[in-house]
Amino acid sequence: MNYVFHLLTLISIYLLLALSLNILVGYTGLLSMCHAAFLGIGAYISAILTLKLGLNVVAAFALATLSTASVSLLVSFPTVRLKGDYFVLSTFAFQIIVFEILFNWTSLTGGPYGLRGIPRVSIFGQLVDTPAKYFVFSGVVSGLSILLIIVLLKAPFGRVLRAVRDDEIAAEAMGKNVSLVKVKSFAIAAACAGLAGALLAHYITYVSATSFTLQDSIFLLSIVLVGGAGNLRGPIVGTVLLLLIPELLLFLGMPDTVAPNVRRMIYGLLLVGFVFFRPQGIAGEYRFEKT
Amino acid sequence: MGVRVLSQLLLNGLAAGSIFAIVSLGFALVYGTTRTLHIAHGIVYTISGYLFLSAITSFQFPLFLAILTGVVGAAGVGVLTELVIYRPLFKRNAHSAITLISSLGIYIILQNLAAIVFGNQTRILNYHTANAYIFGGVVLSEVQLLGLVSVIVITLSYSVTFKYTRFGKTLTAISSNPLLAEVIGIDIKLYRLMVFALGSVLAGIGAMLSVADVGIDPNVGFSAVLIAIVAVIVGGVRNFGGAILGGLLLGLLQSFSSWVLSSRWQSAIVFVILTTFLLFRPEGLLGVRMRLEEKA
Repeated sequence: MNYVFHLLTLISIYLLLALSLNILVGYTGLLSMCHAAFLGIGAYISAILTLKLGLNVVAAFALATLSTASVSLLVSFPTVRLKGDYFVLSTFAFQIIVFEILFNWTSLTGGPYGLRGIPRVSIFGQLVDTPAKYFVFSGVVSGLSILLIIVLLKAPFGRVLRAVRDDEIAAEAMGKNVSLVKVKSFAIAAACAGLAGALLAHYITYVSATSFTLQDSIFLLSIVLVGGAGNLRGPIVGTVLLLLIPELLLFLGMPDTVAPNVRRMIYGLLLVGFVFFRPQGIAGEYRFEKT
Repeated sequence: MGVRVLSQLLLNGLAAGSIFAIVSLGFALVYGTTRTLHIAHGIVYTISGYLFLSAITSFQFPLFLAILTGVVGAAGVGVLTELVIYRPLFKRNAHSAITLISSLGIYIILQNLAAIVFGNQTRILNYHTANAYIFGGVVLSEVQLLGLVSVIVITLSYSVTFKYTRFGKTLTAISSNPLLAEVIGIDIKLYRLMVFALGSVLAGIGAMLSVADVGIDPNVGFSAVLIAIVAVIVGGVRNFGGAILGGLLLGLLQSFSSWVLSSRWQSAIVFVILTTFLLFRPEGLLGVRMRLEEKA
């Protein structure tokens, strides 16, 4: 039973990640390859605040969310004017720089050893220590955040995002500040990713920079593109499908030496297959098209 | 800092940079003429390196045959990516994001295939190229010397090709305006194919030099293509030769930064440089600043 709740917890966290990345990719049309960096920043900030400063978990979660949103300004503010490949490359660069900092700033982040013994969450004096309890906690936190995302995307703000995505010049002509809209969309997506990072850190109670690499960003992007971008169904389908594939391989009894490689090959095949034959993904609405 | 240390660092930097320069020139040819952010260039590199290594260690091929295997393998993989992925996408005029993601996907598939076939651990070439020359206290290994000679030969042939041959001029034409090039009757499909073959061969040469120098693991291709991307942007996308300059500069940077700072911060420095160029000088060192309306 613990195994099922473990999976459900992961799915609840990744749903928040996928839906927040979808704000950038599917609604604003920005192909961002640094979502795992935001996840990592949130995870490390929350871990450091509770471990080294002894802050309580609720405050740490809030600070992790806010600071990840502020850090996103570092990448979004200068780069939203870049077009096409250059924009993607700048997010690539940000992802790699963040990883290098997390991996090499040994005194603060534990470097290659990561940080151990991150305190568990306790709510109303009740310690959240089993996967079942944590699933309830992460389900509520991520569920509320997802609700917020949905409200935001249904509001006029969501329409502005899609306007920017479909025709920047037209949006600008209608008096929208395109750069500011992109910066905002980055900040919201990063805040959610930061919160997801905190959820992950206090669940696993261990963080390591190697969980927040470029490959992880590509994995998150695959979830959104395979499931489908531009609506809510797509990323949900993608999350469930891509998180369950490794578990299926586990049941097939794939030997440990090749299982990770086979898993990544399947992700690669899905990514190419969908982008090539069905660019809107399984249940998505948006596909990258030349205007 | 003594003169000897300085010249050793300079030499190491140029030797490392020569490999970067060769691989980057290959990437620049592809990116410049086709505007494909060819991440799969990295897997061309990896596969060519592994073919070369296996040809020598498992099949005991003589050196020239092993090199031929690596070169043909590289060209084959490069041409296949164009035929299977990029050409259909080009035909349907796909968004650059679609091309980029497909390229990344192909890279992921083949990289893991290579890991399954050749193993995840690092493999080195115990070849008799471990000889070294000493000039006034400065050590230069045979492989490093070979790298330096290759980059000089390749740079010269590149300049001659692009200045004097029809092939080179056609590539320049396609690069500066693909639509117009097609209008005056250039067979774009054929030239794209040739560019992928040629660019991949250059990746293969770089890979084989690197295998002989430091060995290979399934992930080397990714760092190689990332370096190539940075070198091309730093050097200047519109000038293929910029990639050679960019590659050499990155080699020197790597060598000197590992002496001044810890080598741990190398990739961070490289990507800070990339960001700086993207933001403040996107046309690169050798590029010419253009007005917006001149850009194709």
